[in-house]
Amino acid sequence: MTGIGTLRKSRNTLFRISLGWLGLIILAVGWQLAAILINKTIFPSFTTSIVAAVHLVGSSRLVSDILPSVGRTVLGFLISAVIGIAAGVVIGHYETVRNWSGAVIDFLRSLPTPLLVPIAVVVFGLNGKMVIATIVTAAIWPILINTANGTSSIEPTMLDTAKTYGLRGRSLFLRVVLPAASPQIFAGLRVALSVSLVVMVVAEMLGGGSGIGYFISNAQQSFNIKGSYGGVIVLAAMGWIFDTLFLVFERRVLSWQRGTVGGVANG
Amino acid sequence: MADSLLTIKHLKVSIKSRDGLVNEVTRDVSLEIGEHEFVSLVGPSGCGKTTLLRAASGLRTPTSGNLLFEGKPITDVPPGISIVFQEYNKSLFPWLTIGKNVAMGARDYLPEERGRRVEIALKQVGLSGFATRYPWELSGGMQQRAALARAMVSNPRILMMDEPFASVDALTRNHLEDVVQELWINSNFSALMVTHDVGEAVYLSDRVFVLSSRPSTILAEIKIDLPRPRSQLETRKMLRFVELQAEVLERVEEAGRQSVGIADRD
Repeated sequence: MTGIGTLRKSRNTLFRISLGWLGLIILAVGWQLAAILINKTIFPSFTTSIVAAVHLVGSSRLVSDILPSVGRTVLGFLISAVIGIAAGVVIGHYETVRNWSGAVIDFLRSLPTPLLVPIAVVVFGLNGKMVIATIVTAAIWPILINTANGTSSIEPTMLDTAKTYGLRGRSLFLRVVLPAASPQIFAGLRVALSVSLVVMVVAEMLGGGSGIGYFISNAQQSFNIKGSYGGVIVLAAMGWIFDTLFLVFERRVLSWQRGTVGGVANG
Repeated sequence: MADSLLTIKHLKVSIKSRDGLVNEVTRDVSLEIGEHEFVSLVGPSGCGKTTLLRAASGLRTPTSGNLLFEGKPITDVPPGISIVFQEYNKSLFPWLTIGKNVAMGARDYLPEERGRRVEIALKQVGLSGFATRYPWELSGGMQQRAALARAMVSNPRILMMDEPFASVDALTRNHLEDVVQELWINSNFSALMVTHDVGEAVYLSDRVFVLSSRPSTILAEIKIDLPRPRSQLETRKMLRFVELQAEVLERVEEAGRQSVGIADRD
């Protein structure tokens, strides 16, 4: 790639990023104007909400609600990832397992998550464990299904090649199956991450005992409108940080993919 | 018999299709490959050449028949057999650099020995200095050379090749044929190549086997008595080359006509 090409590319990237920020600014201004037009007590303005969010992060709520929510989301996501990838690889690799488990998986994953919260409350109580368990019941599916699809669609030639070099069992899975399916696994992980965040909030609202979801629902019920909007903004920031960190990680792990069919250069 | 490196006896391979029908691909194939021999299998398209090669290498369990490599029955792919597949883009691991791909073939060596072998193998195929590149950064011909280096790095007794040059352009193909010939002349492995290109089979081989259409049997064995080293320009215009090519082609055509006569299976 020539110097000029690189320059043009980086300028384009800069342009795209600034467009994204411009969109956010327009949204904020629109919010602000709408809030001025509507009664302020039931619809706080953008600036008020931001101030409330900053206060929230600066208060003791950081330790009592925000950090626990972060921890539950991350833990729930990681547990889903480990189980989902392990099960997905086995299901994708062995046709027999796929045939046997298909109906069970379709049944389990179509259960609406909020329905599972009462069951989780009975089993774990009103606490973080319940939230984590609920996250896993929802976040595991996009990971498992993407991993299984990615694994079952690995080129037979690639598996033949692996066999030729004596790769069997665990080393076959770790050195060939996982990397070959990794683009699809990552697609599933990214969906699962946002599912984890959503389910964390729902579970905390329904019976978390603490956490950002619990805080928002409490604030709403006690007419602390400003506080609940502040909570929503903190939640949005949390989601954005999770997604950004995830993308950095993904880009690092899948850097080999750039020039291949699924990569950016050819895609 | 004693110096036979690979013995294939009455090999039969049937494939069960999804709808439960048993499809006989290879009916009865017997052949022997000796030390440092270059043997090719040619046949009409869809005659089960690839299936035969997969069975002969141990990748696929045959329905019946005997397979002996260095006198021992083949169950899995034995360490002395290396395979080069037609689709280098599906055979090279895209997440590994060329160097690491080639190192896959040298897993049985100690790390320091492995590095040295990878370097030599890359040099043999003219890819020195490309070890840190990813497969997609290389042209098709270079990728297939990398696959060749990976197959050669373990110092195999038999190099099996499944239509190794079918996915590259004609000039690259000529070049790759010469790379393989040079490797073969300078080492002492035997080669078993499956191809549908009659000229290529004659150019490289000591013996060419013509397979019938499905279910395949061996229709003819033709000895190629052309002097070595062979060259694309000189050998291909020799009268003997043209004669041999015509002979093989005739048998392949014969096999193809038979298949049209029986049924249009492919």
